[in-house]
Amino acid sequence: MSMVKVTIDGRTIEVPAGTLITDAAKMVDVHVPIFCSHSKLPPLGACRICVVEVGTPRMGPDRKPVLGPDGSPEIAWMPKVQTGCTTPVTDGMHVKTASETATQARKGVMEFLLVNHPLDCPVCDEGGECQLQDLAFAFGQDFSRMEQNKRTFESEDLGPIVKKEANRCIVCMRCVRYCDQVMGEDALTAHQRGAHTEISSFNRQPLDCEQCGNCVEVCPVGALTALPYRFKARPWDLRQHITICPHCSNGCSVRLGVRGMEVLRARGTENRGVNQEFLCVRGRFGHDFVNSAERLSAPLVRQGGSLQPATYAEAIAQAATRLRDIAAAHGPGSIAFLGGEKLNLEEQYLFQKLARAVLGTNNVDARTRYTSNVSGDAILRATGGGRPALTFGGLVNAQEVLVLFDDLQGESPYAQALAIRGQHQRGLHLTVAHPRRVKLARPKFKSDWLGVAPGAELALVHSLTKCALDQAVPAHLPAEVAWGLDALTQSLAAWTPERITRETGIPAASVAAAASRLLKAERKAVLFGRAVAEHPQAAALLQAIENLGWATGALSADQSSVLYSGPQSNSQGALDAGLTPDFLPGYVSLADAAGRETFEKSWGCTLDGHAGMSASEILQAAGDGRIKALWIVGDHWLRSAPDAALAAKALAAAELVIVNELFLTETARAAHVVFPVAAFAEKEGTVVNCERRAQKANRALSPRRGTRPDWEVFQLVAQSLGADWRYRTAEDVFREIARLLPMWNGASWATLLPNGAVWDGMRAVASLGYTEPEARPAGEGMWLLSGGTLFAQGSMSAHCDSLAKLAKNARVFVGNAEAGRLGVRAGDTLELEGPAGTVSLPVEIDDSVPPNAVFVPYAYAEAGINRLGMPKGAGLRVKVRKFATAARAGA
Amino acid sequence: MSRGLLLFKDIDTPGLTGIETYRKLGGYESLAGTLGHKTPDECIEIVKSSGLRGRGGAGFPTGLKWSFVPKNSPKAKYIVCNADESEPGTFKDRELMVLNPHLLIEGMILAGYAIGANAGYIYFRGEFAYVQAIMDKGIAEARAAGLVGDNVFGSGFKFELYTHLGAGAYICGEETALLSSLEGFRGQPRLKPPFPAVEGLYACPTVVNNVETIMNVPHILKNGGAWYKQWGTDKSSGTKVLSVSGPVKRPGNYEIPLGLPLRTLIESPEYCGGMRDGLKVKGVIPGGSSVPVLPASLLDTGLDYESMNSAGTFLGSGGVIVIDDQTCMVDALWNLIRFYRHESCGKCTPCREGTYWMGEILERIEKGEGRDGDIDLLLDVANNIFGKSFCALGDAAAMPVQGMLKHFREEFEYHVKHKRCMVNRRRNAVMEVGA
Amino acid sequence: MSHAPIMPTEAPAVLEWPDNVKPEVAEAISHYPVKRSAVLPLLWIAQRTWGWCPPAALQLVARTAELPEPEVFGVATFYTMFNLQPVGRHHLQVCMTLSCSLMGADRLFKHLEHKLGIGHGETTADGRFTLRRVECLAACGGGPCMQVGLDYYEDLDLPKVDAILEKLK
Ligand SMILES: Cc1cc2nc3c(=O)[nH]c(=O)nc-3n(C[C@H](O)[C@H](O)[C@H](O)COP(=O)(O)O)c2cc1C
Ligand code: SF4
Ligand code: FES
Repeated sequence: MSMVKVTIDGRTIEVPAGTLITDAAKMVDVHVPIFCSHSKLPPLGACRICVVEVGTPRMGPDRKPVLGPDGSPEIAWMPKVQTGCTTPVTDGMHVKTASETATQARKGVMEFLLVNHPLDCPVCDEGGECQLQDLAFAFGQDFSRMEQNKRTFESEDLGPIVKKEANRCIVCMRCVRYCDQVMGEDALTAHQRGAHTEISSFNRQPLDCEQCGNCVEVCPVGALTALPYRFKARPWDLRQHITICPHCSNGCSVRLGVRGMEVLRARGTENRGVNQEFLCVRGRFGHDFVNSAERLSAPLVRQGGSLQPATYAEAIAQAATRLRDIAAAHGPGSIAFLGGEKLNLEEQYLFQKLARAVLGTNNVDARTRYTSNVSGDAILRATGGGRPALTFGGLVNAQEVLVLFDDLQGESPYAQALAIRGQHQRGLHLTVAHPRRVKLARPKFKSDWLGVAPGAELALVHSLTKCALDQAVPAHLPAEVAWGLDALTQSLAAWTPERITRETGIPAASVAAAASRLLKAERKAVLFGRAVAEHPQAAALLQAIENLGWATGALSADQSSVLYSGPQSNSQGALDAGLTPDFLPGYVSLADAAGRETFEKSWGCTLDGHAGMSASEILQAAGDGRIKALWIVGDHWLRSAPDAALAAKALAAAELVIVNELFLTETARAAHVVFPVAAFAEKEGTVVNCERRAQKANRALSPRRGTRPDWEVFQLVAQSLGADWRYRTAEDVFREIARLLPMWNGASWATLLPNGAVWDGMRAVASLGYTEPEARPAGEGMWLLSGGTLFAQGSMSAHCDSLAKLAKNARVFVGNAEAGRLGVRAGDTLELEGPAGTVSLPVEIDDSVPPNAVFVPYAYAEAGINRLGMPKGAGLRVKVRKFATAARAGA
Repeated sequence: MSRGLLLFKDIDTPGLTGIETYRKLGGYESLAGTLGHKTPDECIEIVKSSGLRGRGGAGFPTGLKWSFVPKNSPKAKYIVCNADESEPGTFKDRELMVLNPHLLIEGMILAGYAIGANAGYIYFRGEFAYVQAIMDKGIAEARAAGLVGDNVFGSGFKFELYTHLGAGAYICGEETALLSSLEGFRGQPRLKPPFPAVEGLYACPTVVNNVETIMNVPHILKNGGAWYKQWGTDKSSGTKVLSVSGPVKRPGNYEIPLGLPLRTLIESPEYCGGMRDGLKVKGVIPGGSSVPVLPASLLDTGLDYESMNSAGTFLGSGGVIVIDDQTCMVDALWNLIRFYRHESCGKCTPCREGTYWMGEILERIEKGEGRDGDIDLLLDVANNIFGKSFCALGDAAAMPVQGMLKHFREEFEYHVKHKRCMVNRRRNAVMEVGA
Repeated sequence: MSHAPIMPTEAPAVLEWPDNVKPEVAEAISHYPVKRSAVLPLLWIAQRTWGWCPPAALQLVARTAELPEPEVFGVATFYTMFNLQPVGRHHLQVCMTLSCSLMGADRLFKHLEHKLGIGHGETTADGRFTLRRVECLAACGGGPCMQVGLDYYEDLDLPKVDAILEKLK
């Protein structure tokens, strides 16, 4: 990039050509105020507060700068002041930000901004952190020359989240532009014009959008404020702590505002974290569960038939004794540890260490929702085996993005925002493979939608790979991959265009075009997540995605553009920390004797070299009575296990069930020992997001009385079992992790702040392989589609007022035509009958759902779709009928 | 008797709106003589040599503007005719189009050819729906005659021409706001650079020209640049249509050679024939409501770009508003500021808030509630808008204030002090806030 | 400004283009390389079809031009000529800008107010006239002037206006 010299207020620096004056000024510590300009939006130049004087070297007839008497170039100053936020610097440019003219102009603009602005700072939520207030202080004058007849609007509520106070609006258009260009929602608009310009929705109706509240965040004044936080506190009364959002694997930084022992709000922070000021609705309004009065506040121990409050010492002793007894009586293999995708890395590490080193069992698995067995490194392989991976920065700049089977709106809201911004501002093109026409597949984003037939996911990935291989022979493959190419090509030969069209339900030409786009794009990304990992054919799908990566260049010898976003905030950490039955931390295979030894030495134990049972095997084994003790952390297993009946049977059959929980869930009710634990905001540790970026999560307040962070519980039990664990803090645990795992060598909590560190270099061996898809069952019934939705009702969100309100109740979504065929309308009830049970849910009409399918988001835990039976093979088909008797509706 | 020199020369010929009559008078000969005979570059050179400057207000040299269109851009190119005619005091484009639609069509095809555009749009202000109908009819005739469409005059040049109706917004006369509006956005101006010639309509190279500018093109290409210079002054060549309004004997459009003294236009029996009803000229706004007013003492200034500038004002769009000695300047200015306040698009702070504020101040002065310091405050507000707004509308709102206070300050002072007009007014002002 | 919606909210739930205007809609869209450009023409067609632009018409335009509804709302309210409230059969728009004002527009407007018994923006009880002050109509040389529907009337005085009103039933 070419560099240019610019002189700002007498200080000369070199900056890349094209840098805006306001940004260049920052580099020499000159503060040029801004309002309408925003780092994620193209310059607008509307508010005019950033005006500066600009001059460029005067050019002579020879096109060379004219030199003044002192030998330096003469500067031709422009007659008018210019907006610094829109003017890129050019070589030799001079800028005056504080000259008489510039200051006078800025004062004038400041005065204009206040002409119609109310003087209601004392009752404005923004007061104390208002950019207008700050600037008025810095540049304004202390009296007003505009005394009468301010133009006024009435305030209004734009739905349950956004409160609008139009009088305070300075028409910087940040909210409207952010809503459109970053969120892709277009819920806001400016209407009328001139002094009567007002930001609002269609005809002042409630906002029809994701309710993310980013409009509130980017508003530089108090024109848009958040109803949930309204009049709750003044910013200077709040302690602010930046930590990591617990709601998904994107790992956004949230700045919690805490007063006393209450979390009152969450905000993003400019220049901080992967997300900066962005937060989705869950990140911004999903924190009040921490304050919930329903939190558990004392351990519970089963006595007789019921759970009784106990002291921590009693509960720890009880858990340890029973575990020891069961291990002694039935062998360590009768103990299984489940869950932990939401825990911090340190806790995940200790959880498996407790299982393996102290109790001697490899039956640990965080992936409790998987319906099939997947090797502990399968995801690492599919995403390039630990090669330097795509980051969010790379995603927004990608030219072609393929989204495989996830609705990013519910699963990866920040990734979705990046894709939309990329599409809007940087020429990113999207291909969305999803049975439903999800948000990103709407025409508005000019994306290509591959509306894959339900159950044909594996067929589609194979087809894409086949088309890519037809178009080009992949170059620069590592030897171990190149070796398998012929075999793969042969296996894929059967995927003729006719077969592709028939099996995927998508014209073969569209599949070929999608493959070609991915192949040709220089900067690309393939995104997948829960829909793949929790698919009944997950193992084959992950392998197929790996194939596709190599075939299209999304994976190459030294780089990966395939990104996996796990279902929970620290799903990636759980894999890294070895919370899988077959791998030790750092993807060291249990079968690898040399790798095992490192841990044996450090942990002072011998490790069982045989892989343990996966979660789905544990489910079965516990039901059969082969597993006697279950320790479940951070997971409402009765709701999340893929087969509710089996899970219930397992919990009933086990001799000992230990549960770490925030709330007394049904799962906790079935336990013998319940440990109340600290919430995310109450503890510190490391969280690894979907970019494999380890970020330090900070503590914003001390643990609720009577609770402890999970890692302390693990340590106390370990100690009680005789282990010599002496971690004083979670940081001690991280030091051990950093010592033992090559990927964290040299890292410390200090190095993780502020923006975390992305790990790579853990090469999992790459390979090509092929599994024939299982036949899609035909015949009676409709496909049951599931997946994430934005407005979730999980155990955390159900205890958040705003989220619970937005999520409404559990529903089944069907398309208009199907609804007609089934004879139902919105609000009626449909009965779904699966192999294992029946569920009735109210209907919502949604035309994104394809024919012959119904959609029930799994975010609605209480929908209980896992009562229908475990999906197998291509997926689950259910019988669907209108529910006739009103009396049983909603059962 | 002919009403003008060039554009208005044959304009009253009966049936001129029909393609037959237009052709009989030599219409489309310029097109025939150009396509296949002159290269686009030659056309641009001829227009450059004529010295033709934009008649929409800014007076930018037309040939130079055309030459900014990148020659080898792979993108489509567009020629857009600005028929918004939104500047108060200006009503020439309407008459030109209503009476001679084919001249505009011919000009559009030629301009499109010169800059390499295969499509053109004519953007009318919303009130011109009936003008649009006339132009649409003309375009249909031209299309039927093979002059618009895939193969203009059999030359292989493809040119599509469409009309587009705005819906009531002065700002849409500003070229970038016009393009926003044409694309279907709120009609707000866009950042320059990139200039439309590089990134205009649909981010493609686009030239925006005024109706009158375009109508000069067929004549110039037919007769040459030097021929066009027979009218006007050295730097302001050619003719200009001036729209005269106010209490003159014969208001209306007059096509004059540039440089004609303002006094001649107003007083000569050949033109407006002097004032009505024994009124006297107090001041003249010579170039549309946005330019500073000239006092009667400067009536001898020539109507050309340079002379007007030396007199402290602009030729602008050529909307000559004659203000008589029985008009209160406070009332006149309050009227104009109401216009700008109503028309500010609201995008940038100085214009949005400044026009509102100036309105508040003027209203109270006009109502006899003015205070000491109000006049300085008003001037200060105007100065704070001037040069700081996003587009030229802000300047357009500030200049009338600056001009009035420069030449007629005593009327404002009198109003503040005596709470009434200095002059004996003929008409009652409307006191309520404007429409 | 009131808290109330800008437009009535109880208008028909869903509007469709009547068959006879469908060709016009298709024609308008065909003039542009992108659909959104057709927003103004479509709003005009809607206004001609229904006499004003009810919310459902804006939604129809949004669907037709494939635009978000709020955006169409923002566009429709930016311009002054789209009637977001029903108007009378004859929409009298009197120019009040300087040139016309110099020629007596103010008096003319007062006369109309008095004669029709309505003020700016109001409609007569019989639904015959809506009266509105507007800014410059580009007929300054013919001031005072007014536009009724699409028709211009210039060089007006009080008797001429009265005669015009007579004719407009
Ligand atoms: C607020 C504003 C309103 C304008 N209105 C018009 C107009 O109604 N008609 C016009 O031709 N130019 C108008 N212009 C000038 C145009 O921006 C542009 O300069 C002109 O259309 C270019 O054409 P020309 O070079 O042929 O004059 C206006 C400019 C501003 C700033
Ligand atoms: S920032 Fe700006 S300048 Fe720039 S206009 Fe806005 S706000 Fe500026
Ligand atoms: S001022 Fe009235 S039409 Fe121009």
